[in-house]
Amino acid sequence: MITLEKISKIYPPNVQGLRDINLKIDHGEFVSIVGQSGAGKTTLAKLLIAEERPTRGRIDIGGWDITRIPGRDVPFLRRQIGVVFQDFKLLPKKTVYENVAFALEVASMSGRRIRDIVPQVLKIVGLEEKARRFPHQLSGGEQQRVVIARALVHRPKVLLADEPTGNLDTLNAREIIDLLLKINSFGTTIVLVTHNREVVNALRRRVITLDGGMVVSDQAEGKYLLPV
Amino acid sequence: MSFFINIWRIIVSAWKHFVRNLWLALSTVFVLVLAMLSVNVLLGVNVLLNRAAQELESKIDVSVYFLANTPPAVLEQAKFLMTSLSQVQSAELIMPDTVLENFKKQHAAEPEVLGSLAELGENPFGATMILKAKNTADYPFLLQALDNPQFNFAIESKNYDDHAETIKRVREISNSVQVFGLILISIFALFSILIVYNTVRVAIYTQREEIGIMRLVGASNSFVRMPFVLEGIFLALFAIVIAGGIVYSATVYLEPYLSTFLDGADPGLLTYFSANWPQLVGAECGVLAGLVALSSWAAVGKYLKK
Ligand SMILES: Nc1ncnc2c1ncn2[C@@H]1O[C@H](COP(=O)(O)OP(=O)(O)O)[C@@H](O)[C@H]1O
Ligand SMILES: [Mg+2]
Repeated sequence: MITLEKISKIYPPNVQGLRDINLKIDHGEFVSIVGQSGAGKTTLAKLLIAEERPTRGRIDIGGWDITRIPGRDVPFLRRQIGVVFQDFKLLPKKTVYENVAFALEVASMSGRRIRDIVPQVLKIVGLEEKARRFPHQLSGGEQQRVVIARALVHRPKVLLADEPTGNLDTLNAREIIDLLLKINSFGTTIVLVTHNREVVNALRRRVITLDGGMVVSDQAEGKYLLPV
Repeated sequence: MSFFINIWRIIVSAWKHFVRNLWLALSTVFVLVLAMLSVNVLLGVNVLLNRAAQELESKIDVSVYFLANTPPAVLEQAKFLMTSLSQVQSAELIMPDTVLENFKKQHAAEPEVLGSLAELGENPFGATMILKAKNTADYPFLLQALDNPQFNFAIESKNYDDHAETIKRVREISNSVQVFGLILISIFALFSILIVYNTVRVAIYTQREEIGIMRLVGASNSFVRMPFVLEGIFLALFAIVIAGGIVYSATVYLEPYLSTFLDGADPGLLTYFSANWPQLVGAECGVLAGLVALSSWAAVGKYLKK
């Protein structure tokens, strides 16, 4: 599903974001990417959605070589990878429903399809009752679920979540992870970037540990190894 | 189908941008209006100067005074020969009787003039021929052509007032207005581009989160871009409507005053603007919207590349 070959990323002028990464993530996997701050986790996530381009190496997603993907094709890549990023929150002046519908509007979806899909994804994340609320009327965990719902509208094959539990307490974090597991059970590949030790250890899924831009461990049923 | 959905969503979104940044939008429109006004004032001044030059040119003629008692055949011959020249627009013969009558009318209030005329007992006037050339530059040639042995013996005198100096001055003014105008218009065009560029940058800045999300969820570049370009076009259209209104009312208001400068002749401004408004509005819309769209496009482009 996702293949990275000898990927290096150097930010100008000379910051080594990633160093010689080789990875293979299969269809339907649930992979956690862990590591300390500055390890290169976000850089890896950005490469997967072509927000950044690798300095060296090759990236392939579902048979599509996106290493040098031209700008006009990026939107199509983004519709195949659902993204939950820390710094891309909800639009405060739009309701839950509108925030989710927005992702379909920008992709030229017809009004009828939008009215069809939005309630479905809101149901998946358990927020169909709160569709008319505005983000500030929701808890942090609920807001994050709306973000996930928005990431799901294009029925992506991969869901990429960068620190989705970053600002949440244990209970809310647990709920988000359960939601990701549920989405994974529908067949969606999940790439979860986190430095939350509890979350990772409870999952008992594959864990890839980055340090200094390199993969230092890759375990099938892993634990968060490094000190926090 | 999806194309029209898109267009509609983009228009709605552009309109929202416009309203949200209303003050910025209004000041931008103001600058654009100034630019449009300067263009149209220059156009108007040009029309007026041309009109003045035309008016002067239409007054140029050569009056040829024939000797009294010149046989009508010679007069007709002269008229015929002059008319047949391609440079001549018209040759009008005023026969001695008419000249006399005109003279009497002119001096109706001066009995002593009429008295001495009556003393003569006969019509002292010869015929007059009034010649107009198609081109101002052809008058010297006409004067030469009048020196034709078939009738030159019958010419008593010629009167040619060419207004040449005045016309030259008007043309010079018109030319410098054009040069000066072009410079002014370029400056305004540059200002307009910069102002619109800045307005769109600010609009983008206030929308940066929305843009970030749009791009993240797979909005195409053109979908992100079009609302801003359209916003620029909205600004341009507003400016054109306002400037058009001002130009029209100013023309209607000023034309009577202008006509007194032109000896009561029609200054032709209103005629000019009403005859040419589709082309003018079209051209001005096209150029302005084009410039504005281009600078909005560039403003967003910088953001999209990151
Ligand atoms: N846009 C950027 N420009 C320059 N350096 C960057 C940029 N983004 C990240 N980096 C650097 O790359 C390294 C990896 O960063 P990042 O991938 O954000 O780490 P993580 O998400 O694991 O905390 C860090 O040293 C960071 O300072
Ligand atoms: Mg990070």
